[in-house]
Amino acid sequence: MAKAIAAVVGALQHGGSLSAATDYDVSLMLAFQKGNELAFQELVERNHTRVIGLVYRFIGDSADAEDLAQEVFLRIYRARLTYKPTAKFSTWMFRITANVSLNALRSRASRRDDVSIDQMADVHEGPRAIPDPESRMPDEHMHQEELRTKVREAIHTLPEKQQIAVVLNKYEGMSYADIARTIGCSTMAVKSLLARARDNLKDRLLLYLRTGRGRQRIA
Amino acid sequence: MTPPTCHWVRSVLTAYLDGELKPSTAQAVRRHLEHCQSCSEHAKQLEQAWETLDTLHAPPVRPGFTERMMARIVEEKDLEALEERLRPDRRLRQIVAAVSGLAAGLVLGLAAYTWTGLTAEPASPVEREVCRNVAFLEDADLVDEMAVIEAMDRLSGKSIAEDGV
Repeated sequence: MAKAIAAVVGALQHGGSLSAATDYDVSLMLAFQKGNELAFQELVERNHTRVIGLVYRFIGDSADAEDLAQEVFLRIYRARLTYKPTAKFSTWMFRITANVSLNALRSRASRRDDVSIDQMADVHEGPRAIPDPESRMPDEHMHQEELRTKVREAIHTLPEKQQIAVVLNKYEGMSYADIARTIGCSTMAVKSLLARARDNLKDRLLLYLRTGRGRQRIA
Repeated sequence: MTPPTCHWVRSVLTAYLDGELKPSTAQAVRRHLEHCQSCSEHAKQLEQAWETLDTLHAPPVRPGFTERMMARIVEEKDLEALEERLRPDRRLRQIVAAVSGLAAGLVLGLAAYTWTGLTAEPASPVEREVCRNVAFLEDADLVDEMAVIEAMDRLSGKSIAEDGV
């Protein structure tokens, strides 16, 4: 399999565009476009861990992360005939990942809106709905889990574009310029998005920073 | 050079922490932070909050993702093939569209033809003469040629009998 892909990719790299020559994933996508299905398989193999990780950071649910990652690769598969190598493959793939993840979050939010008033009353009366970061939890695992929940909530309460900028910058280590290409805005806009996002995150996680819990975990 | 204000420093603080500022701008921010306790504390909190995000580890990936994905691709291909089979032949669709268009054109043409009354073709030489001089005849005070009067009535859809003549 590897030999067959290498042959096609090699041919594309010699006769292909600049981005195809410098981005191996673009070469694989172009090989797939020419009918080499093994190239698609290698694309999945090379990128699925990053996609699953990214989806998880967007939706915060590991059970759904794999299904949504499959959806991302399915969209890539369906776009095989119209794909044009105008940017890095990862830029395109992350854009699809962000779209799929945020769509899932939106539909999840609309499902939540459908919950009856009675059910909502039950939820609000439940002990989990009352935030009490000062309460003492004996189990270290519980501390970590609580902190993770707070971090997830803090990210999810950000506006969508801020969420994307935070996830790509924090977990993919992308530069402002690459984020700008992924979400289709200027580098200045990304600078502003991240400044507001980090201010928001600081405000939402401040309680944890003051009580030392967050700091304790960081250290 | 005017020393930067706290407001300005806070607006570029995130870019400073991310190493996205020009060296000269970064230098100005660094100097400000050395002397301003409030901005320095603000920067520290921003960093701590950012580091807290590290607790959100990616979940371990179940082995066999690629195989499961390729199995789904096989299903997708089956669906695509089924859709292709159910879709009517393209050439046939083009023919049906062309025939439908032609038929619609004919029907519309016929309707327009009937509606504009073009069926009342002048039949006799007198009628043809009336048609040619209709403007003059309409303005004439008296038309006393019986054949002309009858022809005008016929063309306008009235009969002499209807007028009681």
